[in-house]
Amino acid sequence: MADFGMSDQELEQMYQEVILEAARDPHGRVPEDRPGSPAPHDGVTMKVEHGYCVPAESQQFNPTCGDHATIHVEVSDGTDGRPKAIRRIVWQGDGCSISQASLSVMVDLVQGRSVEEAMHLAEEFHSLMESRGAGIQNEDAEEELGDAVVFQGVSKYPMRIKCALLGWEGMKASVAQALTDMDKEKEQA
Amino acid sequence: MVDEARIRSQFPILDQEVHGHPLVYLDSAATAQKPVSVIDAVRDFYLRDNAGVHRGAHELAARSTVAFEEARAKVAALVGAESHEGGEEIVVTAGATAALNLLATAFGNASLGRGGGAAQRFALKPGDEIVTSKAEHHSVLLPFQELAYRTGATLKAFDLDDQGRILAETADQVITERTRVVAITHVSNVTGAITDIDPIVRRAHQVGALVVLDVCQSVPHLPIDLHAMDVDFAAWSAHKMYGPTGVGFLYGRRGLLEALPPASFGGSMVELAYMDKPAQYMDPPARFEAGTQPVAQLIGAGVAADWLRAIGMDRIAAHEATITRGLLRLGQVEGVRILGPTTPENRIGTVSFDVKGVHPHDVGQFIDSRGIAIRVGHHCAQPVHRHFGLFASNRASTGIYNTVAETDALLEAVAEVRHFFKVD
Ligand SMILES: Cc1ncc(COP(=O)(O)O)c(C=O)c1O
Repeated sequence: MADFGMSDQELEQMYQEVILEAARDPHGRVPEDRPGSPAPHDGVTMKVEHGYCVPAESQQFNPTCGDHATIHVEVSDGTDGRPKAIRRIVWQGDGCSISQASLSVMVDLVQGRSVEEAMHLAEEFHSLMESRGAGIQNEDAEEELGDAVVFQGVSKYPMRIKCALLGWEGMKASVAQALTDMDKEKEQA
Repeated sequence: MVDEARIRSQFPILDQEVHGHPLVYLDSAATAQKPVSVIDAVRDFYLRDNAGVHRGAHELAARSTVAFEEARAKVAALVGAESHEGGEEIVVTAGATAALNLLATAFGNASLGRGGGAAQRFALKPGDEIVTSKAEHHSVLLPFQELAYRTGATLKAFDLDDQGRILAETADQVITERTRVVAITHVSNVTGAITDIDPIVRRAHQVGALVVLDVCQSVPHLPIDLHAMDVDFAAWSAHKMYGPTGVGFLYGRRGLLEALPPASFGGSMVELAYMDKPAQYMDPPARFEAGTQPVAQLIGAGVAADWLRAIGMDRIAAHEATITRGLLRLGQVEGVRILGPTTPENRIGTVSFDVKGVHPHDVGQFIDSRGIAIRVGHHCAQPVHRHFGLFASNRASTGIYNTVAETDALLEAVAEVRHFFKVD
């Protein structure tokens, strides 16, 4: 029979210290308005700090375990003379340690990065999660992913991959939304 | 008492190791395991008798039809319902969810004037009220919430006490002269609390409202007599009462089923069909059983119903009460909070709990590494979790095959969780 769970030893492998630590105090997290409420109500709608930035958010939900996160980004539109970039990323939500730790590591990786770099990292993380425990066999990519490689152990467990991808999916969707809004603003201008 | 060894020997699935530990199955509220007699009945049907029912005139069709109706009668006997020909009170559905949707859709059709004058007792209009509770499974809440949206009726809900029990004593205030339908659970699949339905049924009938009872979590664990309980409709699934998946039941008082308009249309539910005028539908239960039915599954469910009756629901309830007491010791584990009644009275052995500082998905993963199956998540009942200030929880639930030793194994594992995740 296929074995989708894990022995005690494998459990230790999945819940690496980095993951447990990040989950206890995840980076980028801002308080929820109401505990257990998947949607932010009006708590942290983004204050745009720079005139050349466009805010957007994306709600992500994992129905099997109830992980939920709303990822807010502020993306610069390039009029500051630099490539479009994620100037600020925060999130609200709650979930299992894998989802929380992955959100935390993702925030550390993409905060301040250009949109292009962030999307590239998201792709690499996706490949890691599709590797069924094998890893991505590419030293450059591994180096770029930094702490995110600790999720390699999670990629063996189909039930948990979604947890690890939740934050990344939210980052991609909210950035895409910001870019769409930018184009719309341009058209109107 | 039930003979534990004899019961367990009828469930070969339980005799296996998972991740190097003996399997402990504490997820019967999600779905129960099946005794060999049920599995054999399904297999034998396919090996010897398989044919469509209520159609065709050949030998196999006749055997299948007889077996199908006999199975319906066995299920009816388990819950004290009628099953003589022309008086059937059990409608076969694809499951409890399908049964509840059937009912809500039929009420909606009646609200649109379908079913004629007799069906007007089910009709809803703006100003009418549908009453439910905060402890409902989404399969009760959502069909009736949608019915309220479609008809303009108002949805109201019984509140819960701090142990998650439905406040039945508020029935006289919650149910008013405007209430037309009360759709409520008999036993919560999260808290395990048994609803005190008497004051609710009494008040509902006093104001002329219909009572729809979700008996998914009570039929497998408690003696049930739907006539004595005086409810109007009830719904449950076979797979939680040790029968196959894919089949469930809608109970309705005969007189009500006769007045209820159909909700699903197609073959085997119609007497006369025309191109240019409305069809003439069959009497219940056929009126509600459009399309090819889950025949093998119903036959398996009939065997499960007989099997439960042979052991005796009183004895099953008494045995499971000892397991419930075992599970309730979870409340004494450091950092563990039980979501539901913390004492064994008026509850079944479905015990949801929160482990402080550890998300249920992580708890479940840890518990699974010990070969123990519990359910984690919101168990399709988000409002009751919100009542406890949570989004998800862990749930251990008993079946007839569980032992006190298995609850010891769970307790031991749960006691280690906070240490493993370094939150102690
Ligand atoms: C209380 C309750 N109601 C309704 C349902 C729905 O049953 P099913 O999913 O078998 O249709 C369930 C089980 O999931 C339940 O526990």
